[in-house]
Amino acid sequence: MSATTHPVESKVQITGGAWASAWKLAAAAGALGLVGAGAGYASDPKRFAFSYLFAISVFLTLGLGMLFFVVIQHIAAAHWSVTIRRTAEFFVGGLPVLVLLFLPLFAVMQHFPQWEHYWGSSHGATHGATHGGSHDAHPAPEHGATAGAHGEHAAPAAGAHGAHGTPPAAGHDQGAGGARELAGLAHMHHRTLEAKKAWFGSTFFFGRQAFYLLVWVLLARRFFKLSTEQDKSKDKRLTVVLARSAPASLTLLSLTMTFAAFDWLMALDPAWFSTIFGVWIFAGSLVAALGTLIVVTLGLRRSGYLDGRVTTEHYHDLAKLLFGFNCFWAYIAFSQFFLIWYASIPEETTFYHTRWNGNPGWQTLSIAIMAFHFVVPFILLMSRNVKRRLGAMATGTVMLLVMHAAEMYWLVLPNFKPADGHALTSLPIHWMDLACLVGVGGAYLAMVFKLMTQHALIPVGDPRLERGTQHTV
Amino acid sequence: MASANHESTVSTGEKKPVLMLAEFNTPGECLHAAEKVRDAGYARWDTHTPFPVHGMDGAMGLPDSKLGWIVAVMALTGFVSAAAMIWYMNVYDYPLIIGGKPPLALPSMAPVCFELTILFSAFGAVFGMFGLNKLPRHHHPIFYSDRFAAATDDKFFISIEVDDAKYDAKKTRALLESAKASHIEIIEEEVA
Repeated sequence: MSATTHPVESKVQITGGAWASAWKLAAAAGALGLVGAGAGYASDPKRFAFSYLFAISVFLTLGLGMLFFVVIQHIAAAHWSVTIRRTAEFFVGGLPVLVLLFLPLFAVMQHFPQWEHYWGSSHGATHGATHGGSHDAHPAPEHGATAGAHGEHAAPAAGAHGAHGTPPAAGHDQGAGGARELAGLAHMHHRTLEAKKAWFGSTFFFGRQAFYLLVWVLLARRFFKLSTEQDKSKDKRLTVVLARSAPASLTLLSLTMTFAAFDWLMALDPAWFSTIFGVWIFAGSLVAALGTLIVVTLGLRRSGYLDGRVTTEHYHDLAKLLFGFNCFWAYIAFSQFFLIWYASIPEETTFYHTRWNGNPGWQTLSIAIMAFHFVVPFILLMSRNVKRRLGAMATGTVMLLVMHAAEMYWLVLPNFKPADGHALTSLPIHWMDLACLVGVGGAYLAMVFKLMTQHALIPVGDPRLERGTQHTV
Repeated sequence: MASANHESTVSTGEKKPVLMLAEFNTPGECLHAAEKVRDAGYARWDTHTPFPVHGMDGAMGLPDSKLGWIVAVMALTGFVSAAAMIWYMNVYDYPLIIGGKPPLALPSMAPVCFELTILFSAFGAVFGMFGLNKLPRHHHPIFYSDRFAAATDDKFFISIEVDDAKYDAKKTRALLESAKASHIEIIEEEVA
């Protein structure tokens, strides 16, 4: 209606103020963090590897969640989300930075358990320490044969797998029956790793990684470029082009996300597996993306941007999606736990054993994730009134964002086993975690905020813009 | 039943006005008329449209639906019932160890508690909606109007009850006319 006559330019283009210089602040923080991370790498490359993977996981899931959000808006030809889609597109536009920051992971991958087995320099010591005591009852002849069959194992074979005298890891049942059981488990663990060699220890692995990264960069560029191009050209055909490429993009995105989650997060416990793991990561990504969308658009609105085109109606719908996908996240997380708990098969329960019985720090974090990633936000965000009361809604949203980072920490860090073999009695929090988080996040956000200053804050060329602005729930 | 009812109305033959029905040609006119009726302070009135008109709740000054609270209470009832049922069966009445799990194992209670929460919520939503809308209702005088059939086709209606404290045959008609009603009629019902 009358909205077409608004003085658009001043409210959809960042001209000055905090938002104009936000990218410099983010870049400075990012540089500082990355320098710190570099120093950390020099002092303890293994700890750095885990901190860095944690940081990458937090922001890559966020960026890919944003890409997913943009793609489903195109697939559904949604008009309600047109005015908020651009904010998501900025985060999509920043994805190439994250892909670049992903590359150092390949330099430290020998420190992650799934590759330690094949390439780790301290293979014998670490492997022995990780599964301390569990190999004691290993039948010697068979063990020798297994080790001998794979030449790249650190010699001598007995030193590699025996590790006699290493203190047993905390929480392991060391009764006679338990020892036999654990020996069987360790043997199976070893065989599983050998069976997975083709998946992790070959060119197929690197080819696969290149494919994921390429897909993410190409999709991010396409969805960002064509949408911003439309701002100037006002070409309606671009809307159709993007809608047409959305289904294939969605398929590629889901598959690459799922398998990247398998390769880098699930496989941190290399013998453990869960077919639902990719869906879990995906659900968490979308929660992070929707939460960030809410927070960032609220910030832009507060500074007088967005031209009144993102209204309470939009926030109501965003909060509904956030609530829904958070329930979905909880549903998936519980489904995984439930089946593993019920079947109680040692090779599966190890994941939860580490995060519950292993260490009181992890147990506290597990409870915190249940409480603040699900129970509290579930009750808080359920009501329609809260979804439309932006202060209360933002509180729940920020809580979910913090818990998203906590969840990634909870997924990655329990797999960090210090080289000296001491069982940790609390969370392995390290200054490098923060340095990597600030470094990766700062660099990513610097790109996102820079793009914000270069393009319109809403897709001014989208033919559905007016309908999207007038959206009511 | 119907014939008996019919006979009784025929026997008295006396009629009294129960509703004033205003017809509008567009959803916009109906919406703005609703705002006027709301602002005039009427309480016993309603709108009838072929499809949901955005903003009509606000235009009518309707408060938030109570349905959410009914559903919330039912959800909690479902959750507690499920937990109580499991406790009674598995712990109190006939304790059974299944799969080596303790009798009151929280994870295995979750699916049943979840399902009963959903089931009770759904019942609460459906039957609560019936209750709030005073359904089922087999008869309403508004259907005496021949024009009202268009409420499911291409016309928009506002009906004001004669029982409303603000109702005044002349003033109410004037109000609706000023709100661009294309047709106004009084619906009468036979006195029982």
